[in-house]
Amino acid sequence: MICFKDLSFTYKGEKAPALSEINLTVEDGGFLGIIGPAGAGKTTLARAITGMIPHHYTGDFYGSVAVNGLDTVDTSIDEISRMVGMVFQDVESQIISPLVEDEILYGLENFGVPREEIPQRMAEALQKVGIADLQERSIASLSGGQRQKVAIASIIALKPQVLVLDEPTGELDPRSSRQIFSLLKELNEEQGITVILIEQKIMLLCEFAKQLAVVSGGKIIRQGNTRDVLAHADELQALGVNCPRVTTLSRMLSEKTGAAQPVCINLEEAEKMVRRLIG
Amino acid sequence: MNNLFQYVPGKSVIHRMNPITKLLITIVICVAAFLSDRLLFLAGLLAVDLLIGVIGGVANRTWQIFRGLLKIAIFLFLLQVLLTRKGTPVFWIITDQGLLTAGKVVLRLVVVCMPLALMLAVTRISDLTNALVQVLHVPYQYAFTLSTAIRFIPQFMEEMSGIMEAQTARGVAFDKARGLKKFSMILPLCAPLLISSVRRTDQTAAAAEVRGFRLRTRQSGYKRYPFTGVDFGAFVFCGALLAAAIIL
Repeated sequence: MICFKDLSFTYKGEKAPALSEINLTVEDGGFLGIIGPAGAGKTTLARAITGMIPHHYTGDFYGSVAVNGLDTVDTSIDEISRMVGMVFQDVESQIISPLVEDEILYGLENFGVPREEIPQRMAEALQKVGIADLQERSIASLSGGQRQKVAIASIIALKPQVLVLDEPTGELDPRSSRQIFSLLKELNEEQGITVILIEQKIMLLCEFAKQLAVVSGGKIIRQGNTRDVLAHADELQALGVNCPRVTTLSRMLSEKTGAAQPVCINLEEAEKMVRRLIG
Repeated sequence: MNNLFQYVPGKSVIHRMNPITKLLITIVICVAAFLSDRLLFLAGLLAVDLLIGVIGGVANRTWQIFRGLLKIAIFLFLLQVLLTRKGTPVFWIITDQGLLTAGKVVLRLVVVCMPLALMLAVTRISDLTNALVQVLHVPYQYAFTLSTAIRFIPQFMEEMSGIMEAQTARGVAFDKARGLKKFSMILPLCAPLLISSVRRTDQTAAAAEVRGFRLRTRQSGYKRYPFTGVDFGAFVFCGALLAAAIIL
């Protein structure tokens, strides 16, 4: 379980706080989507879970963050990294090795995964992300999207209890993005891994995330079940967060028909609603 | 130029050698080049360099490196020849002594630089790092610094060309300027390069930290690096080379 209590954080040398009074709880096995405009503090939120804040990025830290009951201030980054895996927004800086194989190996070696288990874990991670054919390649020869998949595979191979991903599909095509989201869903449902996903692709996020948190100006504006959050679509629009088109459709239809329509979060629901209205 | 330091996959004898052996060969060639003062021996060492490149299946890369070094070598040669005043004049202000010294300096430069670049072409950086840690007991932090520095070279080049492209898009004509003028155009770009590099390095450090950088021990490496027959052969070769350098 991840628990933020009144967390406020200001980066060293900055005047404005990056996060203020964050209260957020993610249960074990949860799938939380985080959305918000650029500069809202989403990445800072992710860094706070991994312990990079306050251990790597220093500054004024108030309140507390607990991962599995351990306070991140008192727990070392190593200790936290055994539980939490993070995929960075800037893939280039996450990748440490010049070769794909070495990149996947890096974390496995560090965490002391038994030698006999390593080849299987590596093959599994590469295959799940769909890049088994890239194992021998050098990172420099890969496209941005392929690099992003390598970064994701290198974290998945570690089998963390909590997976934090900061815009992991930024450089991926729509098909690969959906593939990654499906993979996250699979990990979440079958292995009970808690997923915390920062993402701009609102349509996909709403389809896959069980819960949503809307962040703006360093504050959590709204949080709850995806459907409940989307019910406040106009509020999101005002913040500059786009809503899925199906949600916008259901809102418009509610206005036009004068009767409240259920909030749709995927195509099937929208189709049902329209069919019902047309009669 | 962009991939001058990158690993070239292969299965040659040189590839299969222990990274430490390759490092040893590199060092031995450098030491031999400084021990010997004979032009012919230095030329022989150059032949060894080139041969290693060919055996390692990286003839193309070897040629690339050689050609790059040649430009610097010619410049140094001319400088040396024109500045040496000792010996009997052969032609204009050029003396026989000057030609000989210049030849040796230049050969030494090429001989010393080539094996380093070649080693990077036939050795995976990760293997080098892990072998340094496992076999030579170098602290991992130091080995990591070395490997990261080498890994960052192509990244910085990518970054620099990105910055230059951004400038070109705003109307800076890098392609029309040459020599000193081009240099003075590129110089101000070092500031953004430095800033983005520092930021990137910091993030890479964070990325390494959250993946157990500090948990790593000497035994962490997945691969093991035992010495095999090839390596012992290489040791004999190194010994012979050193002996020859001293005797000749």
